[in-house]
Amino acid sequence: MGQGKSQFTEEELQDYEDLTYFTKKEVLFAHQKFKALAPEKVGHNKNAKLPMVKILQYPELKVNPFRDRICKVFSSSNDGDCTFEDFLDMMSVFSEMAPKAVKAEHAFRIFDFDGDDMIGVSDLREVIERLCGPDLKLSDSDIQQLVQNVLEEADLDDDGALSFAEFEHIIDKSSDFCHSFRIRL
Amino acid sequence: MSGGNASKNKARSSKKQEGWEEAGGEFYQELYPGGEQELFENLQRTDAAKLATLLPSKQARNTTTVKRARSQNDRRQSTFARTTQSHDIHLSMLPDLSENLSNEERTWEEIMQIKAMPVPMNQKRELKAKLQNATKLRLQGLEQFHWRQRKVWHRFRIRLGELLTKLELWQSAMREIEGKFGTGVVSYFLFLRWLLFLNIIISLFIILFLILPKTLLVEEYVPCDVTVTNSTECCSFAYLQKNLTDTNIFLDVLQGTGFMERTILFYGVYTNQIYRYYLKNFFEAEMFYNMPMAYILVPISWALLSLVAIVKTAAKGFKERLVENEGQFYKFCNLVFGGWDFCIHNDKSAKIKHKALFNEIKGCLEEERFKEEKLSRSRESQILLHLKRLFINILVFTILIFSGFLIYLTFNYSLDMLNTLSGNSETVVENRTHVRIFGMYRGGNNEGWFDQLHIMFFEFLPFICIVLLNLFVPEMFSYLIKFENYVPARVIIITLLRTVLLRLSSLGVLLSQIYMYVTENGQVCSYKNEDSTKLECWETYVGQQLYKLLLTDFAVQFLMTFFVNLPRAFIARHTSNKCLKLVGEQEFYLPKHVLDIVYIQTIIWMGSFFCPFLPIIGTIFYFLVFYIKKFTCLRNCIPSPVVYKASKSKSLFMSVLLLGFVISIAPVAYSIAEVLPSINCGPYRDFKTVWNFVVDTFEGFPFFVREVIFLLGTSTFAVPAFAVLLFFLYYYWAVATANRHMVAVLKNQLVLEGHDKQFLLNRLSAFIRHHQKRCERPNRASFADDDSSIRQSSR
Repeated sequence: MGQGKSQFTEEELQDYEDLTYFTKKEVLFAHQKFKALAPEKVGHNKNAKLPMVKILQYPELKVNPFRDRICKVFSSSNDGDCTFEDFLDMMSVFSEMAPKAVKAEHAFRIFDFDGDDMIGVSDLREVIERLCGPDLKLSDSDIQQLVQNVLEEADLDDDGALSFAEFEHIIDKSSDFCHSFRIRL
Repeated sequence: MSGGNASKNKARSSKKQEGWEEAGGEFYQELYPGGEQELFENLQRTDAAKLATLLPSKQARNTTTVKRARSQNDRRQSTFARTTQSHDIHLSMLPDLSENLSNEERTWEEIMQIKAMPVPMNQKRELKAKLQNATKLRLQGLEQFHWRQRKVWHRFRIRLGELLTKLELWQSAMREIEGKFGTGVVSYFLFLRWLLFLNIIISLFIILFLILPKTLLVEEYVPCDVTVTNSTECCSFAYLQKNLTDTNIFLDVLQGTGFMERTILFYGVYTNQIYRYYLKNFFEAEMFYNMPMAYILVPISWALLSLVAIVKTAAKGFKERLVENEGQFYKFCNLVFGGWDFCIHNDKSAKIKHKALFNEIKGCLEEERFKEEKLSRSRESQILLHLKRLFINILVFTILIFSGFLIYLTFNYSLDMLNTLSGNSETVVENRTHVRIFGMYRGGNNEGWFDQLHIMFFEFLPFICIVLLNLFVPEMFSYLIKFENYVPARVIIITLLRTVLLRLSSLGVLLSQIYMYVTENGQVCSYKNEDSTKLECWETYVGQQLYKLLLTDFAVQFLMTFFVNLPRAFIARHTSNKCLKLVGEQEFYLPKHVLDIVYIQTIIWMGSFFCPFLPIIGTIFYFLVFYIKKFTCLRNCIPSPVVYKASKSKSLFMSVLLLGFVISIAPVAYSIAEVLPSINCGPYRDFKTVWNFVVDTFEGFPFFVREVIFLLGTSTFAVPAFAVLLFFLYYYWAVATANRHMVAVLKNQLVLEGHDKQFLLNRLSAFIRHHQKRCERPNRASFADDDSSIRQSSR
C-alpha cells in the first residue's frame, strides 16, 4: 500500500473519505484496483481517464449486462470514460454502506436507457432482454406480457412508464434489490 | 394510458435530456413576472408533448439533483433542500446577525450529506470547499464540546467499522462464493457463520460457569459410610473409584468411553457439592460456588439465548417477508429490477445466472398462465392430479415409517449382537463391571484388534444407519416430487419439510430407544454392583450416544465430500459422455445443505445438558464444516438453475432452525422434569428429578419473593394477564387491518389522481396544439373544430 499512499496527499484522502462511503484505506484499495486496470497510465497520472473498454475489464463489470450504462451514468464526461474519481463514485454507490435511496437513484439512471427521466416500455424491454443475456431470447409475446405485468404492478398513475417516484416505491418494497445491487470492493 | 402513451413515445423519440431543463427553466423564469398572457405564450412555445415533464411531481428529483449540483449562492436552498427543513425554521427565529450564517456543526453535517448526491466527484469537492470556506459561526462552550464529541464518535465508528471488517471471518471466501453463486447461496454461508457464533457464545457460557469451576476448584472428600451401603456417597464413590483398564485410546476417544467418560466432557463427573474456596488476596470470607445450581442455570440461559437469537433474526427476516408479501404484486418488478446480482464476476456464472433468470421469468409467466388455466382446467385432470399427489404423499409417509422401523431394528440388532459378543468372551468379573450392553467391551489385552473393531462396528451401526438414510431418502423425495406439479417455490418448501421430518423422526426413534433402555436399566447403585448390563450413569450414556452421532454425522459429511462427490465432479468435468455427466454433475441444492447444519445444531442442543462439551466440539465442527461446504460449493458443484432469493431463504433457515430447537429442547426438558437422575454421578445425585432441585432452591428464597412468584402462577394473576394480552393482540390486529384498508384506499386514490392528471394533460396539450395551429392560420379556426379535436385526443 506504500505505493498507493505516495500518490495521494492526506488532504485528498480526507476529501475522498468525506465524499464517499469509504474509509481512507478503502479508497487506497479502490485505487489499487483501478490501477490494475491500466498500470502504466494510472502510474503516471493517478486520476487518468480510462476509456470505457478498459473500465469494463473490471471483473464485476465485465459480465454485468448493464455495464455500458453503468459507465455512462458514472462518467463525468457522459461518454462512458471514467477517471479514478468516477470509478470511486461508482464503487461508493455500489458499496454496502450506501443507503437504499442513493442506490435507487443511480439504478434508475442506469435503467433509463433513453434518458428521458422515465422508465418506459422500451427501457423495460431493454432491461429484460439484457437480463436474459445474449444467447437466450424470450419470445416477443412473453416480453410483452412481462412488461405489462411490471407496469401493472408499479405504474400507479397509469401513464405507461415508471417515474422516479414510482421506481423508488418499488425499490422500497423490494428486499432483494439491496442484496443484489452491490459490488464488494 | 392510451393518450399518454402516444405523447410519451413522441417525447422519447425527440431525445431530449436537456429538453425539460430548458423548458422548465424558461417556464419558471418567465412564469413569475408576467400574468396569464405570458404564461399562455410560454405554453405555446413549449412542445405540447413535453408537458408531462413540467409537472412538479416529475421534477422533484431533478430539481433537487440539479439544484444541488449547481450549488448556487444560496447554499441553504441548494444543498439542504431535502434534508434540513426543520433547521431552517429554527434558524429563521434566530437574531439577524446569524441568519445567513451557519455554525460549524451544521456545516459539518452538510458536508456529510454531500456523499449522497448523484454528481461527479469534482463537483462534490467544489461543494465541500465552498461549504468549508463560507463564513460560519464558531460554536461556543457546551455546543462546541458536543460537536467535538460527535465528530470524535463519528471517526471512532468509522475506525471500528474498519477494524470489524478486517476481523470479519471468511470475508474473501464469501466474496468468492458470491461471485460464483450469487447472494442466495452466500446467505447460506452467512447462516453457517451465524451458527458458529451462536455456538461460540454457548461454549463461553459453559467454559466460564461449568468447566473452569470444575477444573479449578477442589472437591471436598466425603467418606463412604459403610454401614449405609446404599447412600449416595457410597454409590458415587464406588462409581468414581472403578478402575478403568483401557486398551485403546483411539477407540475411546471416538466413543467417549473409557477414560473419556471420567473427563469434563460428560455429565457424570460434575459434583453435587457446593464448592468452598478462599481468595486470600481479595476477601477474607469464605466463598461458595453452587455447582448443581450452575449446572441447571447454564442450560436454561443458553436455551433462552438461542431462542432470543433465533426469534430476533427470524423477526427481521419476517418483517422483510411481510413487506414483500404485501407486495406480492411486486413479484415481477422484483424480478426485473433486482434480478441481476451485481456482484457476479465470473463468466460462467454470469451465463448460468442469465439462464436462471430466463427460467425464472418463464416460470413466473407460466405460473400466471397456470393460474388462469387452473380455472379452466377440466375436472378430470384436476382429480387426477390430486390423486397423484395423495398417492405420493402416502408413499412418502410409508418411506418415513419404514425408515423409522429400520432404525429401530438396527438398534435392537446391534444391542443383541453386542450382548452375545460380550457374553461369549470369558473375562474376569471385576472387569466385566464395565461391559455395558451398548458400551465398549474392554475385556482384557488378549482381545484382538479385530474383535474390537467388530464391536465398534456394532456400536456405530445405528448411527451409520441413520446417516445413510439421511443421505438416500431425500434423493428419493426429490425424485418423487417431480410428479406432483407444484410451483417451484412450493417444491423447495415441501421437500425441505419432508426431509426435516425424516431427520427428526429418525432422531426421535433413536431417543425413544435410548429412553426405554435407560428406564429399564438406568437406576443402580455402583456399590458392590456386579451386574454389567446395568447403566451406572445414564446421563453420561445419553451424552455418549449423542456425541457418537455428532461424530458420525461429521465423518460422513467429510467422506461424502472428498471421497464421493469430488470424484463425481472430476468425472463430470473431464468427460463428454452424457451418461457419465449425469452421474457426476451436482448442483448446489440449498435445502439439503441447510438441513445438514441445522441437524448438527439440533444434536448439540439435545446433547449439551448431558455432555457439556458438545457445543465446544460443535464450534470446531462448524468451523471445519464451513470449509467442507465451501469446497462442495466451489469445487464440486455447478450453480443451481433455481434462483435462490437471499431475502426469502434467510427466514426459511430460521424457521427450520426454530423447529429443530423446539424438537431438541422438548426431550431434554422432559428428562429434567420427570426422569430420576442416576444415583452414582452428576450434580443431582440426591434428587428425585432435576427439577426438584430447582424447587428446593426456590423453597430457600425469602418469603416475600416466594409469595410473589407463587402469585404469578395462580389464576388470580394469570387470567387477567391473559385477558390483557388478548386485548392488546386484538388492538394491534385491528390497527393492522385498518392500516391495510387505508393503504388500499390511498393506492386507489393515487391511481385515480393519476388518471385525472393524464386526462387534464391531454386536454391541455390538445388545447395548446390547437392554439398553435390557430395562430398559424388565424382565419380558418373554428371553435366547433377545437372542441372535437380536444375530445378526440383526450380519449
